[in-house]
Amino acid sequence: MLTVSNLSSGYGKLKVLYDLSIDVPEKELTVVVGPNGAGKTTLLCSIMNIANVFSGEILLQDSSIKGIPTHNLAQKGISYVPQMGNVFAELTVMDNLHMAGYMLSKSEAKDKAEQMTEIFPVLKKFIHRLAGTLSGGERRMLAIAMGLMKNPKLMLLDELSTDLAPIIAERVMMEVARMRDELGITILMVEQMAKRALEIGDTAYLLVSGEVKYSGDASALLHEPELCSMYLGIKHSSDKGKEFELSVMDEGSEDN
Amino acid sequence: MAPWLSSGLVYASGLALTAGSVTLLYIVTRTFNFAVASMATIGFYTVYTGVTLFGGLPYQYYPFAFIVGSITGFICYYGLNRPLLRRQAIETTLMMSTLGYDLILLSMIQMYADFLTHTYKIFPRRVTMSLFDFELFGDRAAAFILPVIAIGFLTILHIFLTKTKFGVAMRATIENPILAGASGINSDRVYLVSWIIGGGMAALGGSFMAMAMTGTPVMGMYTIPLMFAGAILGGLGSIYGGILGGLVIGLTEYAGVFLLSQQFGPWVLGYRMGIPLFIMAATLLVFPRGLSGIPLLKIIKNFAEQKRGARA
Repeated sequence: MLTVSNLSSGYGKLKVLYDLSIDVPEKELTVVVGPNGAGKTTLLCSIMNIANVFSGEILLQDSSIKGIPTHNLAQKGISYVPQMGNVFAELTVMDNLHMAGYMLSKSEAKDKAEQMTEIFPVLKKFIHRLAGTLSGGERRMLAIAMGLMKNPKLMLLDELSTDLAPIIAERVMMEVARMRDELGITILMVEQMAKRALEIGDTAYLLVSGEVKYSGDASALLHEPELCSMYLGIKHSSDKGKEFELSVMDEGSEDN
Repeated sequence: MAPWLSSGLVYASGLALTAGSVTLLYIVTRTFNFAVASMATIGFYTVYTGVTLFGGLPYQYYPFAFIVGSITGFICYYGLNRPLLRRQAIETTLMMSTLGYDLILLSMIQMYADFLTHTYKIFPRRVTMSLFDFELFGDRAAAFILPVIAIGFLTILHIFLTKTKFGVAMRATIENPILAGASGINSDRVYLVSWIIGGGMAALGGSFMAMAMTGTPVMGMYTIPLMFAGAILGGLGSIYGGILGGLVIGLTEYAGVFLLSQQFGPWVLGYRMGIPLFIMAATLLVFPRGLSGIPLLKIIKNFAEQKRGARA
């Protein structure tokens, strides 16, 4: 579905990603993990033409999308849910959904918004409330619903679990897995909550200092003790001859 | 109506629109638009040209003033603001570019004034627009009509921003341009419409203000500190705040001059601009986020609760 090859990109003259290549297969959940400052968000921003692309190619279904204005990428079926500022805080939940479906006709947007409130019942309760007054978890649900409003072929999710209580983050992760399994959406997810993301993901990329250190099966990365402990904060404790047990050193924080 | 109040209402209605224009363009494109000065003057000359060359009342030429102002906004966006925004210019560069545009417009206004003088033998360099007004309820009609037009315009603007798809998209882009882009909203179109509305508001405001002051080619330059004072008093974060700021600045100037001149004599007139600027500074000391930062709802709620408590 999405192929990024030999991408070098960054902000202004600052280069963050170096010669990076990833492949996002159709109807799969591809996870990008890595330590802070690895360039995970920059990867998504490069795809969305928010960061500066210095070299390389970005193909969506074999046609180049490099340099296409952000608003036109939404029309091509790419839906981007940023890490921060992923809802319009000063608009109501309903207006947020309608803005997310900006390219749809009025009746289509209305139907789709109704569909979203059925998928995420919590939104129905707050439909006329300002999005800025929602809790962290509710806001994240709204952000995902906004992403789905566009009938996307590809969803780019940026650290959905940030600042969420572990139980809420788990619910968000389950929704992501449901979008792939039930709606058949191709997802490229950047995530700090590495363990859970790798458990639900199909393919994984470990990004360190703008370069890919691992690519392959998502769950297999969990069995790379050196990479996990060095870059992902996942500690492996092993008794002689026994299977690895995984524990997460630091996962999630308080809901805001 | 007291003369200071009728003139103050006319003047404040115009200043509210120009301050709203400054705020709108600042929150949408991060640009302090110095060209608002000449845009306001252009609005005045559009109306003046209409009444002197074609006759009738000033009010019938206000839509033309808005259109001409919108065109100047359109040119400013495509000619200056857009290329600079694309090159990620800093706020100072954006601001200085509008100052350059203002000087170009000012030169063109001067040339136009000369053109009117030499071609039509009229004298547009010191104009009293109120001479073209008529009487209503024993007072100048502008004191009633202009506030109504200003309120009508702001109501339409409010409906546009809250009830139409493009208006809500404008608010969305103002709040979060990246998310708006990712939602499929073309921010370029939003910026263009903002400049068209902003230019039109400035010209309309200028044409209103000329009904209360002497219209000259430099009237915009003379009043620009007050236009910015209104926007700053409003808090620079809300269009409505900017409009309210302009209204307060305009009214306090006239009320202050009236009260102080009664007390100290007419020499106070020379310092009239200091009064609203003092009010602005004092307000910002108490409410650093300006008028839009005043938690009005909270104050009203507290007041109501206190009253209820006193009754109980």
